[in-house]
Order: sequence, then structure tokens, then C-alpha cells
Amino acid sequence: MTNRLRDLRGARGWSQQHLAEQLEVSRQSVNAIETGRYDPSLPLAFKIAELFGLAIEDIFVSPTREQ
Amino acid sequence: MFEMWRERRREQQRNPAQRRYIRRFLPTMFAYVVILSAVTAYFRDHRPTGALLVLLSVLPALPLLGAIGVIGLYLGEERDEFVRHRLILAMIGGTGVLLAITTVWGFLEMNAVVPHFPTFLAFPLFCGAFGLIQCAMGVRDRMTGERP
Repeated sequence: MTNRLRDLRGARGWSQQHLAEQLEVSRQSVNAIETGRYDPSLPLAFKIAELFGLAIEDIFVSPTREQ
Repeated sequence: MFEMWRERRREQQRNPAQRRYIRRFLPTMFAYVVILSAVTAYFRDHRPTGALLVLLSVLPALPLLGAIGVIGLYLGEERDEFVRHRLILAMIGGTGVLLAITTVWGFLEMNAVVPHFPTFLAFPLFCGAFGLIQCAMGVRDRMTGERP
């Protein structure tokens, strides 16, 4: 699933490790989500959205809209 | 520079579930080596029969059953969903390798092309494949990841 996580993180000057600690996950998790190799669960997607103060759809692009 | 080093240190630290897994897994392997050595030494000097033979034969398998339980516990306790996902993929891959090798081997064995495959080697074979797949995925994640 395409997402804006890398851009949002970069805009705040955060490293992957810093974001991972905020989300209580591993850096590999953040990297896999950013590169689209792993789609987070709904609870983790909500956690990410809440951390950035955005709605889930502002971060993750719906696969149906992507087509 | 110091902050980068601290971040790298924090990244390399194992999470609580992984620490518990290692704390549980190592004793099972230690018990396996000790029990297997003791049983092998006993069989060298004695010729047990009946219930004792059954008991001594099954004894080395018990720590391995414990190891299977430890892997299962870790799977249940790992809170990082991506790590758990990767672990499940590696387990499926390990099971696939085990099934593929034993299936092909079985047919070859049926026609006396290869010697008998001792089934107690199935678990180490699974562990080897499981470990290699996990390593490959770990390397892939490190190579595609941004360094702190």
C-alpha cells in the first residue's frame, strides 16, 4: 500500500528509529511500511495517524483509488 | 554522531519477547546436548529393554518438544506485528523446505536411490531452513532500510 509516511517523517526531521520508538515497533517495521513491503494492521495505522495528527486516508492511499 | 550511535544501539537491542525467547531456548538446547550425550553413553555400556528402552529412546526428544513450545510461545508473545509477520513467513518457508526435501527423499528412498532418512532430523532440518530464511529476510531489510 502506497503511503506518505517517509515524507511526513522527513518533514519532522525524524529518523526511522525515532518514529519506531514513538510507535513502539521496530525500525524494520517502519522501513517495511514506508517501502510498501508491509501493510500495517488497523490499530497500528490508527496509531501512526494519531501520531501525525492526521486521518488514516491522509497517510495511506486506498488501493482501489490507486488503480 | 553520538545520537546516531545511540540510535543504532537501541535498534540492535532485542525486545522483551525476543529476550524471553532466548532465555527459554538456550536451556532447551543445553538440555538436549546433555541428555543426548548421557543416553548415548548409557546405550554404549548397557542393553536396556522394555519400558526403560522406550523411556531412554524418547528422552532426547523431550527438549526438542520444549524448543517447539518455546518457538510457539515467542510467536504468541511477539508484540511487533511486522516481526511476527516475518517470523510466520519464515516458519511457512521452513515447513515448505522440510516437506519438499522429505517428499523427494521419500520417493528416492522407496526406490533405494538414497539411504533411509532418520525422521528425528526433521526438526533440525526445519530449524535450519527457518533460520536461513529469517537471516535472508533480515539482510534484505537491513539493505533496503535507511540507516539512523
